[in-house]
Amino acid sequence: MIAAAPIATPAVDLWAIAPIIALVATGVGLVLIRALLRRNQAVTPVCFSVAVVGLLVAAGLLARQWHRVRDDGPIVSLADMVRVDPFAVFLGIVIVAATLAGLLLAYAYLRREDLEAPEYFALLLLSAAGMLMMTTANDLVVVFVALEVLSIPLYVLVAFDRRRLRSQEAGLKYFVLGAFSSAVFLYGIALVYGATGTTSLSGIATFLAGNTLFEQTTLLVGLGLLLVGLGFKVAAVPFHMWTPDVYQGAPTPVTAFMAAATKAAAFAAVLRIVLTAFPQYRDDWRPILWVLAALSMLVGAVAALVQNDVKRTLAYSSIAHAGYILMGVYAASSRGREAALLYLLVYAFMAIGAFAVVMIAAPGPDDAKHSYDDYRGLAVRRPVLGGLLIFFVLAQAGVPLTSGFVGKLELFGSVAQAGETSDYVLLVIGVLSAVIAFAFYLRIAWTLVTAPDDDTAVAAAYSTRPRRVDGWTGIVLAGAAALTLVVGVLPGTFIHFARDAVFF
Amino acid sequence: MWEQQVAFWVIAVAMAGAAIGVVRANNVVHAALFLIVVFAGSAAQYILLLAEFVAWVQVLIYIGAIIVLFLFGVMLTRAPMREERGKLDNSQRLASAVVALFLFGVLAVFLIDAFGGTELRFRDSMVEVGSAASVGDSIFRQFVIPFEVVSMLLLAALVGAVALARRD
Amino acid sequence: MTEFYRSYLAVAVLILAAIGMVGFMLGLGRLIRPVRAQEQKYIPYEAGSDPTGTFGQSNVRYYVFALLFVIFDVEAVFIFPWAVNLESLGWFGLVEMTIFVVVLTLGLVYAWRKGVLRWA
Repeated sequence: MIAAAPIATPAVDLWAIAPIIALVATGVGLVLIRALLRRNQAVTPVCFSVAVVGLLVAAGLLARQWHRVRDDGPIVSLADMVRVDPFAVFLGIVIVAATLAGLLLAYAYLRREDLEAPEYFALLLLSAAGMLMMTTANDLVVVFVALEVLSIPLYVLVAFDRRRLRSQEAGLKYFVLGAFSSAVFLYGIALVYGATGTTSLSGIATFLAGNTLFEQTTLLVGLGLLLVGLGFKVAAVPFHMWTPDVYQGAPTPVTAFMAAATKAAAFAAVLRIVLTAFPQYRDDWRPILWVLAALSMLVGAVAALVQNDVKRTLAYSSIAHAGYILMGVYAASSRGREAALLYLLVYAFMAIGAFAVVMIAAPGPDDAKHSYDDYRGLAVRRPVLGGLLIFFVLAQAGVPLTSGFVGKLELFGSVAQAGETSDYVLLVIGVLSAVIAFAFYLRIAWTLVTAPDDDTAVAAAYSTRPRRVDGWTGIVLAGAAALTLVVGVLPGTFIHFARDAVFF
Repeated sequence: MWEQQVAFWVIAVAMAGAAIGVVRANNVVHAALFLIVVFAGSAAQYILLLAEFVAWVQVLIYIGAIIVLFLFGVMLTRAPMREERGKLDNSQRLASAVVALFLFGVLAVFLIDAFGGTELRFRDSMVEVGSAASVGDSIFRQFVIPFEVVSMLLLAALVGAVALARRD
Repeated sequence: MTEFYRSYLAVAVLILAAIGMVGFMLGLGRLIRPVRAQEQKYIPYEAGSDPTGTFGQSNVRYYVFALLFVIFDVEAVFIFPWAVNLESLGWFGLVEMTIFVVVLTLGLVYAWRKGVLRWA
């Protein structure tokens, strides 16, 4: 075989992917530590510290990148596959914060449920690395690989509690539906590649700008399939069927992580694909997003009204919140993008806070049973915890002085700005959904405040298991509550932050 | 070339028949064996399209590893291996028939509309494009990042599988 | 291109011949032999004793081995194109492939230390 002359290798800018490298190295390091210190007692605290350090290093690198890309412009590297711009760094910070919260919440939970911690941490970090990769992706192949890297550890994490049937069932459902939606996404990539000849997002945009396609069916069907695949991950209706069962069955720290971080990563991909690769096809993808947003907001809110389980209610409410964010994406203006980014930030913390309280207040050994009866009077028995849950739930409802209000205001404002009739109809649907959502959020708050009946079984159930809030969970609760309050009272800095992040 | 047309149709009919066999087999192991025929037909189609490396990857991974995994999984769950037809069937036949017909209709319309009159013309230079050397070239130059990330993905899958499948 | 197809035509003929031969032998047998269905003929064969039924409890180990095989098979599939282009990919390719192999070797070490590779 004749040795061919070596052709130029792609330029590798390691600083561009430094946060991803940090998370991956930490995850791999955790696997190594686990392999070496197999049954040593110290393995869990050591792994926990290593994981926290890794996340903090990644956060530091992201902060450094923020200043660099905001002032000097985006870094495009690695054969045009990775694009680090303010948008990617903003969502990267949200994801790292959500992962840190998921990690801190899991520490006590795993000890209490007697599950193996180091694998959990390693899978969590690898999933977070996939999410970071998805925010910086500039090529459809990278989006797909990142989608798989973020999903597969999540499938395992959802099924992590092997003794409970609900957890296994949730893992299986998530896996089967997730694999199917990844296949649909891949089919979309194949069709788009067939129509444009490239999988690079900027390459697609260049091609579509320079050539008019003779027949557009392939491209449009490909775009549709891409949105279907990502719509599953985002939990938009009608691809939401997995959400209630998976959120309810999964261990609660995993639910918190999923609700916050997976949404951020999936919306990063949606925004990038729709706005970088297909800006000329606005009139084609906007109606799709209109329908997805309207259905998600309505179905999420209405279905949450009839639930009897707190975790399931929060799951349906997260579908509704995905609908609100889709509204911001639909607006397709820079204000709409800014609103979507801001809402992803605030929703991450509201969801984490709510699920953190649910994790502690879990009434029985089965983490999938959180019925309203078991929560009755929580705010009376444990005022701080119950008060925090009421606060987070009202923030999700959009009460003024909380971050939820600011987020919703920005989102509705961005849609109202556009001015078409369909925009106003969507706005009305959004407001209607928010009002319905208020009903079930108030129901949760009311249940917490009402003193319990004199029923002996119910009284016995919650009097035997008051769980102590351990240090790490306390930090998460305090941080989430602080952020929710601060963004609600002084939104200016954060709106500026989101506004800077719009550019890509 | 008419030979390619004939070959395509023969393989396609064999694949379609085997696919029906997968769904209708009474015995789960028979279904897995029919699936091998489908995968082999798919590899043959790749050869027809001059994608040699992909065809061999299909044989090596799908038939060589994944079907084995399926069969081990079937044995693990003690699926009914006898002819117990009733237990393998879902009872919603009407709904599934409607969905299948709808899907078939949509796909047929879309494919004919998009690719209706297209004729594939193969040139000799294309044989090189499908070879392992050329695929390797593009993996290790252009698609470096996805390649490295795949290793992380495989590690995550391994750790996750061991975490779930441990026997304690 | 025609040499390409011709070489694979040889493979196809071989496969068809194999299927045809096996099919012929089994089909001929089925045509000729007498069919008398008795219940005892269809229970699973277990040398000399009555069949006890399904597998024992050590099933998961086989499955995990098959899963490990899938993962390392995918690794091998990535090593093939690298090996073919070894010289033209130079040091860059070597570094990439080293990272890839090291990560998966770490996975193997992990599986080994977790006792997954033991007796099955």
